[in-house]
Amino acid sequence: MLHPQLAWYVAGPALGLCVIAVRLLFNARLGVTGGYSEIVDRVRHGSLAFDWRAWLLFGVLLGGTLFALAAGGPDFHGYGWLTRDLDEVLVAPILVIAGVLIGYGAKTAGGCTSGNGLSGTAILSPASLAATATFFGTAIAINFLTRALF
Amino acid sequence: MRARLLGLPIGIAFGVVLSWSGMTSPDVIRGALLFEDSYLFLFFGSAVATASIGLLLLRRAGRVTWTPERIERRHITGSLIFGVGWGAADACPGPIMTQIGQGIVWGLPLLSGVLLGVYLFVRRSEETEPASEPAPLAAQRSIPGAA
Repeated sequence: MLHPQLAWYVAGPALGLCVIAVRLLFNARLGVTGGYSEIVDRVRHGSLAFDWRAWLLFGVLLGGTLFALAAGGPDFHGYGWLTRDLDEVLVAPILVIAGVLIGYGAKTAGGCTSGNGLSGTAILSPASLAATATFFGTAIAINFLTRALF
Repeated sequence: MRARLLGLPIGIAFGVVLSWSGMTSPDVIRGALLFEDSYLFLFFGSAVATASIGLLLLRRAGRVTWTPERIERRHITGSLIFGVGWGAADACPGPIMTQIGQGIVWGLPLLSGVLLGVYLFVRRSEETEPASEPAPLAAQRSIPGAA
């Protein structure tokens, strides 16, 4: 991370307000995976008439761009421990596979870190609480495992 | 109709906050998931608390409603799969988009993987339950008997 972090007590509530805005405007959970899903669905059927979920995703992308412009560059170089400790030819295939698991898993579970983790736990939805505990636990285990192995 | 475009400014706010909080960086996520840094948990916890309080107040005022979902097997199996991917890449769908937005090239294999994963899921659900949703015309042609 090359740029100073926004204080968590500002960043967290700001993210929470986004969840509230989506509920008020669209009566829905704020879920980033829904945007990917919407784009895949529309494009497959030859349409570009995206709903709010895809526009939210485009916004997230644009938010990253605005940040990089304001900060004078991206937040990091390389790709974490993967490019530091592994042969670089392995990194892209690992990231593609990780991406497939992320997309397929989030769709199966009905949400990712935002849909289940943030929006679902905020309304104390049992399914989202179970999903969030599961993916946090799994991701923590994977990180300890890879640290022990590499 | 135009309301859907309001997704854009909310997304921009979301993307700026994800970037500014360092969530785009796999090192920050790994540091949190190895319990070396508490920022992510404080950030995540205060986001959930803010959303929770706001939504409960709005519900009490009669402005919004929702139905909590019951736990099904897919919530667990899906989250196990998702957790492996998240833990391996140290990035989830929001930060993957901010990586792309920031011009981080390593976000591209991740993005293509996520799109492929979503596509595989959609394909599979169409095969197992073809009549569950009113399929658009193009889909109806490819599914015998759906029309």
